[in-house]
Amino acid sequence: MFYKKCLACPGEIWFLGQSVQKHILMEDLPPQGNEQASEQALRESLKRCSPETIESAIQFRKNKNPELANPIIIGILARFIDPEQRVKLQGECDHLRLMDDLGVDSLTMVEVIMLVEEVLHISAENDDLRDLRTIGDVKSYVNAVARGIPPPTRPLRLDVAEIADVMPHQAPFLFLQEAELRPTEARATYAISGQEYFFQGHFKDRPIFPASLQMEALGQLGVLYLLKGKHPGITAPVDASKIYFTSCGNVRNTRFCRPGDVLTLTLHPRRIKHPVAVFDGHITTHNQEKAARAEEITLTFDYLPGPGEPPAHTTPQPQCETPS
Amino acid sequence: MRNAVITGLGFITSIGNDKSTVAASLRKLQHGLAPYAPFCANPCIPVKLTGAIRDFDTLSPDAEDWIFPSRYTIRREHLRCLAPHGLYACCALEQALADAALSPGQVSHPSTGMFTASAGSASMMHHNLTRMHASGVMRCTPMGVINSVAGTLNFNLVAIHKILGATCGFSSACASSAHALGYALEEIRHARQDRMIVVGGEDGNLEAILPFAGMRALSTTDDPALASCPFDKARSGFVGTGGATAMILEEETLARARQAHIYARFTGWGQASDGHNPAISHPDGIGLATSMKRCLADAAQTPATVDYINAHATSTPIGDRSELIAINTVFTGEKKPSVSSTKGLTGHALSMASILEAAICCIALDEQFIPGNAHLRNPDPAAAPLPLPRTTQESHLRTALTNSSGFGGANVSLLFERAP
Repeated sequence: MFYKKCLACPGEIWFLGQSVQKHILMEDLPPQGNEQASEQALRESLKRCSPETIESAIQFRKNKNPELANPIIIGILARFIDPEQRVKLQGECDHLRLMDDLGVDSLTMVEVIMLVEEVLHISAENDDLRDLRTIGDVKSYVNAVARGIPPPTRPLRLDVAEIADVMPHQAPFLFLQEAELRPTEARATYAISGQEYFFQGHFKDRPIFPASLQMEALGQLGVLYLLKGKHPGITAPVDASKIYFTSCGNVRNTRFCRPGDVLTLTLHPRRIKHPVAVFDGHITTHNQEKAARAEEITLTFDYLPGPGEPPAHTTPQPQCETPS
Repeated sequence: MRNAVITGLGFITSIGNDKSTVAASLRKLQHGLAPYAPFCANPCIPVKLTGAIRDFDTLSPDAEDWIFPSRYTIRREHLRCLAPHGLYACCALEQALADAALSPGQVSHPSTGMFTASAGSASMMHHNLTRMHASGVMRCTPMGVINSVAGTLNFNLVAIHKILGATCGFSSACASSAHALGYALEEIRHARQDRMIVVGGEDGNLEAILPFAGMRALSTTDDPALASCPFDKARSGFVGTGGATAMILEEETLARARQAHIYARFTGWGQASDGHNPAISHPDGIGLATSMKRCLADAAQTPATVDYINAHATSTPIGDRSELIAINTVFTGEKKPSVSSTKGLTGHALSMASILEAAICCIALDEQFIPGNAHLRNPDPAAAPLPLPRTTQESHLRTALTNSSGFGGANVSLLFERAP
């Protein structure tokens, strides 16, 4: 009876010699090296990383401390990106996009993940890699895999055309350009072009994006979440023509938003139970500067009538459709 | 039909890593052969010499370990996709583009194309497959295909220089870069492209050269002054080498309008096959004779107007002899061209041999000399009555023909003329 390693199967998969038809076998593997040899191999693999990264990796191999995973990921990423980009990785960098902000192409991404896999003894699925867009995505993915828990579900991504397709709001009154929907979070961007009609009067010679429209934008993201998001409280397809803004509380605006700013809108569902959905939200600009926040953003909604079902009439009438 | 001229040359070779060093080596018959450490380290390897590529260290399978002259800067995202000959080619091409004084905008232009010649990288392929077997298919470098297969040179150079015109890689063994040059000439003649960049490269390392030992094609002589001696009775096989050579072909009126330096006019080419054996040339050189005749006809020249033939002769017993017979079949008149093989100096550069020798012809036409036959002591009787100069001679050189023969009996001849 002997064991073989399958070349096509990731990770340390060993199996009996009999049921091998589906697998590609390699010749007998050399005996597992001792700890010293394995540390030497690790140092060799990481030879172009910083000494801190190498030490973290050696520690990780010994104690499997999950706290070490993030510094290792950042250290490995730093080794693969252009030297002039490395300064960006110092400090808070989870929001950085691998391609747009760091110039990491998809092949480099594979190099990064392969080295992370080797160091952390994990195995990544090809399909998952396509969805890793930011450093934060990589960290949460790798951390989940390293802990043996299911990786975060893939967000649903919508571009400006897809958003316009599903939303009851349309230009010039649609303030979502790209959106990412996860069960626990909805995120969207809006780049203020300066061509928006309301700048003609808000204010004279001093274009400032209205605070009320920032609340409107968060409300629109809530609408998008109800229409396309996944939440246990949304039990049937929602009727796009029956979602209304009813209230929000604790609004704070902390920064002027002007043409050229790119707003990132973030919404967390607090509770959703037909016919009410409640969210907390905030808005940041580039460099993660806080622009606005609001709590208890409340929308009412109704489901599309099921087949053969009379239209429901349970939606309470809102006081106004938008807060502006 | 439009004329094509040569306006830029670049070299990473055993006899020099720039044009002036190559020219000086040709004049002094300074060879570039040396004991190769990976051969000498193993007493079971009977071959000891290669045409050494100096100032580069590409022994590691990891491109980021490579050492190369600091005057060349290559970004990591480019380096990681290269085989050793890709690195040589980047450097040779940088020289050629600077020599031709072409701007990035002229290079990255729909009317500029690029043809390359390379057999791929056996060493990178070996490393990649070894890693696949040892570590699993998902642990292979994502660049494992593009840094090794036969198209590697083309994939990389086209991307690095953002080439927008016609691109193709040629792989016909030791005739590869002659095919690339011939078809590049057609692109310019037929106005499909205005400029063509042609690059040939070879790794020249253990994995690229040693398989020829099994065919008994390599010289096992360990004296660099004796090992590569084309046309000599004592020849016993070739000495392998690698590197890269780059040439810039340009439509003549365009080159003259921008007052580019013109090395030579590329006036014709021909090809024909032996139809004989996958590895051995026809004993009478029938394919090569036909290819030379076609080349002369293409250039509207006669055998009498050829001053110099840079022979393919690699220093193998059978190949050199059939080339001599082929030349004597074509050049039957009273006036005989001088014949020399510069492989006595350079070693045999396989896929890049043709372009290296074409570039040597361009230097010879530009500087007006005929390279001698290094290490030739007792000429093969089949050479008579051809003049085989032993030393490099100053000469009023007007036309130079260069031959290439590859596996499968593929023969290509190219003709260059001094531009007025």
